[in-house]
Amino acid sequence: MELSNLSHSLNLLLPELTLSIALLVLVLFDLIFHHDKKIISYVALIGLLATGFFVINQFSLSGFAFSTGNESYRNFGMITIDSFGSFFKLIVIVASVIIVFFSLSSDEIKKTSERIGEYYALIFGMILGMLFMISATDLILIYLSVELLSLSSYVLAGFTKLRERNSEASLKYMIYGSVSSGLMLFGISLVYGMTGTTNLYMINSLIQIPHLNLFTFSFAMILIFAGIGYKISSAPFHFWTPDVYEGAPITITAFLSVASKAAGFALLIRFVKITFVSYIDTSGFWQLIHVFDWKTLIVVISIFTMTLGNFSALWQDNLKRMLAYSSIAHAGYIMLGLAVLSNQGLTAMLIYFAVYLLMNLGAFLVVMLIANKINSEEIDDYDGLGYSSPFLAASLAIFLISLTGLPPTAGFIGKLYLFVALVDANMIGLAVVALLNTVVSLYYYVRVLKHMYLTKPETAIPEIKTSKPNTILVLVLLIPIFIFGIYFTPLVDLAKGCITILGL
Amino acid sequence: MINFIYLTILLPLIGFLINGLFGSKIKNEKVIGIIGSAAVGLAFLVSLGAFFQTLGLPVEQRSNTVELFTWLNVAGLNIKFGYLVDQLSLVMSLIVTGVGFLIHVYSIGYMHGDKGYWRFFSYLNLFIFTMMNLVLGDNFLVLFLGWEGVGLCSYLLIGFWYDKRFEKGTVAQAAKKAFIVNRIGDFGFLLGMFLIYSTFDSLNFSEVFSKVQHFPVSETTFSLIAIFLFIGATGKSAQIPLYVWLPDAMAGPTPVSALIHAATMVTAGVYMVSRASIIFASAPAVMTIVAIIGLLTALFAATMGLVQNDIKKVLAYSTISQLGYMFLAAGVGAFSASIFHVMTHAFFKALLFLGAGSVIHAMHEQQDIQNYGGLKKYMPVTYLTFLTAALAISGFPGFSGFFSKDEILWYAFSNGNFIFWFIGVFTALLTAFYMFRLVSLTFYGEERFKHTQQHASEGRGEFENVPHPHESPKVMTVPLIILGILSVIGGFIGIPALFSGEGGNNFESWLEPIFKPAEEKLAYTGMYTHAQEILLMTISVAVALAGIYAAYYIYTKKPDIAGTMAKKFKGIYTLLFNKYYVDEFYEAAVVQPIQKGAEKILWKFTDTFIIDGIVNGAAKLIDKISGTIRKMQTGVAQFYAVIMMVGIAAVLLWLILGI
Repeated sequence: MELSNLSHSLNLLLPELTLSIALLVLVLFDLIFHHDKKIISYVALIGLLATGFFVINQFSLSGFAFSTGNESYRNFGMITIDSFGSFFKLIVIVASVIIVFFSLSSDEIKKTSERIGEYYALIFGMILGMLFMISATDLILIYLSVELLSLSSYVLAGFTKLRERNSEASLKYMIYGSVSSGLMLFGISLVYGMTGTTNLYMINSLIQIPHLNLFTFSFAMILIFAGIGYKISSAPFHFWTPDVYEGAPITITAFLSVASKAAGFALLIRFVKITFVSYIDTSGFWQLIHVFDWKTLIVVISIFTMTLGNFSALWQDNLKRMLAYSSIAHAGYIMLGLAVLSNQGLTAMLIYFAVYLLMNLGAFLVVMLIANKINSEEIDDYDGLGYSSPFLAASLAIFLISLTGLPPTAGFIGKLYLFVALVDANMIGLAVVALLNTVVSLYYYVRVLKHMYLTKPETAIPEIKTSKPNTILVLVLLIPIFIFGIYFTPLVDLAKGCITILGL
Repeated sequence: MINFIYLTILLPLIGFLINGLFGSKIKNEKVIGIIGSAAVGLAFLVSLGAFFQTLGLPVEQRSNTVELFTWLNVAGLNIKFGYLVDQLSLVMSLIVTGVGFLIHVYSIGYMHGDKGYWRFFSYLNLFIFTMMNLVLGDNFLVLFLGWEGVGLCSYLLIGFWYDKRFEKGTVAQAAKKAFIVNRIGDFGFLLGMFLIYSTFDSLNFSEVFSKVQHFPVSETTFSLIAIFLFIGATGKSAQIPLYVWLPDAMAGPTPVSALIHAATMVTAGVYMVSRASIIFASAPAVMTIVAIIGLLTALFAATMGLVQNDIKKVLAYSTISQLGYMFLAAGVGAFSASIFHVMTHAFFKALLFLGAGSVIHAMHEQQDIQNYGGLKKYMPVTYLTFLTAALAISGFPGFSGFFSKDEILWYAFSNGNFIFWFIGVFTALLTAFYMFRLVSLTFYGEERFKHTQQHASEGRGEFENVPHPHESPKVMTVPLIILGILSVIGGFIGIPALFSGEGGNNFESWLEPIFKPAEEKLAYTGMYTHAQEILLMTISVAVALAGIYAAYYIYTKKPDIAGTMAKKFKGIYTLLFNKYYVDEFYEAAVVQPIQKGAEKILWKFTDTFIIDGIVNGAAKLIDKISGTIRKMQTGVAQFYAVIMMVGIAAVLLWLILGI
């Protein structure tokens, strides 16, 4: 490889490089500063902000890094930098920054403060895995990044070791993860055996001329999908989600539900689009190469995912577990955007993710702040909270209403664009199913409101005081929900500008 | 300044936020009042700047749009947050911010000592904010946003003393009545907007109005749009049949009555009809309806005003009546005359209300004019300004109301017919009469309050030790004086061509570009001479003077005539006193059936039986399904892996069958 090519590639990888350096610095600082571990959090924050800076810098950039193969294919690399990837990287970085703030005020994490360096190092490992997942266009790199993300999250899921459930979550997560990564690897090996390449672009050009055994190829693709489906917790690969989300420390749960899911979706979208799309027609619809019916598969899976998620959430009494199921349901909604197979659907997905980031993290944050004080996430312990702690209860109510998708919150805008995309693609039936699902979800979200405002508590509960920084953090998540609920044009414009996936 | 027009909207919003968020912590009333007033005062200065800048532009460049940002862009619907600065919106914004500022200042004194002082000012600022959106918006949606916003503020401010009693009910009930009646109108407006969008594929004023002139659209569609819009206007501007809320709106503090329920908000309907003049001009049948509704409202409200004893109620009916005049003008195609009357009415009616507020203040919340009398010597400033306003509204020559009302009457005759003019003049007679009945009973004659004040039990003040009536403080009288001056000279910018000669009517020529398309479409070609105009004018002046004198004679010189008259015409008197029993009729014909129907059919049958049945059934079904699904989540990792494999196998099977 020429030197100029290398420096070009490394230039494109500045965010990842920054993050890796920050990871090393974290480990070093952890060794050096034995006594004052507070500094570690700030180092993590600075590392993330620097990474975020480079990600934002990259918004106008695009290109391939680390070209594989011979001269004629040099244009296609293992890593693709484009505005689509930058958007998701930004989502991940923003979520990570918020998670650092979460961790600063989480009681669970405070109890294990002597291992805080380890904690952040693992989180940074996760983030690194996500960033690579978002921009990887080579099956080997995809597999590696998924593993990097998974291995760190297995440990983090059982990190606090405070309760039995922690270890159970961690173990289950690992067993389940190994199964799906095994499946994925099997699929990758089949693809490599059939095509002789692991590069998605080359696979795309190879299947344009149908001389492969399409059946075996489809089977391999489904195995790979199983690996990705497990990351985004779509049915039937979602079973780990509630157990892990409930058992893991709440900061990790929140992180998994937003950042990890975002990375998984970015990978799925990129994988489907680069491998199977032959061209994009003038009205923005993606025309697939005839391999097998991806569209039906995604439609069926998304219906199953949201229905299972919503229906299971109905009777959950633990808020963390309820939010876990609700995040499964949201994965189902987001998949609808992919099922449309159009630029409009992709735009809707990006908008939804930006909104989902705010409202889901917000809901987890409030649940955490409450759990810090009353040491419970059970819905019965929320009785009368609306009167004893009006600020927290009102914020939680707004986050939940936004998750339901009612105006004037941003959640409404996310769903609106998704449904409009569905209707424009003549998939009205699917839109109706999604709408009915939303109605079901209203029940379990509003049930929390009922407990907070209408049910009288058995014993008088003391006011839950929030510290200034926490109040600010809640507001930081809360205010944009209203702003984007009313004035959402900037968000839409940003999403519209970020649907370019390089190569097509 | 045109490009900074958004400041006129932003400043009141900032005022609202400051007073609304931190008002309860600001202990100093002065600070709150000054913040609230300054926000509106500065907005007035910006409007004034924009006005002079526009005045300096050539006529064809006087309509400017200031676009702030794209608000909505979903599925073909593109709404920009844009503000239209043209001749019409400038007149309206000058009225809203100008009169609004004076009323804010007045409120500093009037609301002194109220426990909701900061709340009051934050609501007032919020009102100005939404009202400015209404008059400046460059599309129907922003207008509607303001329309709903002022409705909300009106509700909040009518119910400001929500814990007080008002007539037979409570203040909160009066507020609800206003809100609900307005909702009926809003629904019509909304339907009109939907129809406009589906017909013209846009909600932007300039786009819609240019399409109105060129699109091949049937007159039926135009009529439907116009009638729906007019239903909206009857709600907001208190016209038959939706006027019933305005008298009850007097439950709010008096500055609110002056600002919202006299000078600004209630004229929103007139503004909207004038703004959409081309749509109305395309539906001549609806124009006639508008004129007739306006005329009838003017007449009926004036008759009801004759016998009311509550000082604010008299003014409320007078407002409804004057609004009727404005719709009469719009209905006969004299849109600029209608806006002219909006302006002069804003001056003198705001003044009347503020004067009434000053009297009520002095009389310690006593509002019954039967308990006033002889206040002239105690409150000279209030008396003089009130008298000015009363002369203006009665159409005394030279005062502002004379010019605007006379223009309307003239157009009612020339574009309409003799009957329109005749009823208009008769209403003018009634107007002069009830206004001077009010003046006489309040300021002239014997002092009746000394004997009755001990019995007064209504209101919010203490009545045991009523001090001597006194003049209000400067902060209240100065706005009165300014409005008094405006009530006198305000008409001179619209002097008819008859008197000003060559220059023509300044006000009319200023607004002409806005209404030109509509006027061309209507093409009234009545040929009338100046002699006819002078004759009609002389008659209406004579009528006004007769009304004034009759009231003065009956209520000051021979107070016993009033009693005998009331006894003689007992039937009519009772009918008028009970406001033609319209409230009772609505209660029996609309409210009761709806309540009964809602209870018997909607609740007992539809809701409990059908909807609850479906909902509970669905819930049970979902419960069952979710119970089953839930059991799949066993917590056993091996089982999860099995399901996953089954899933993959199912897809595989589908592949085999499919390919």
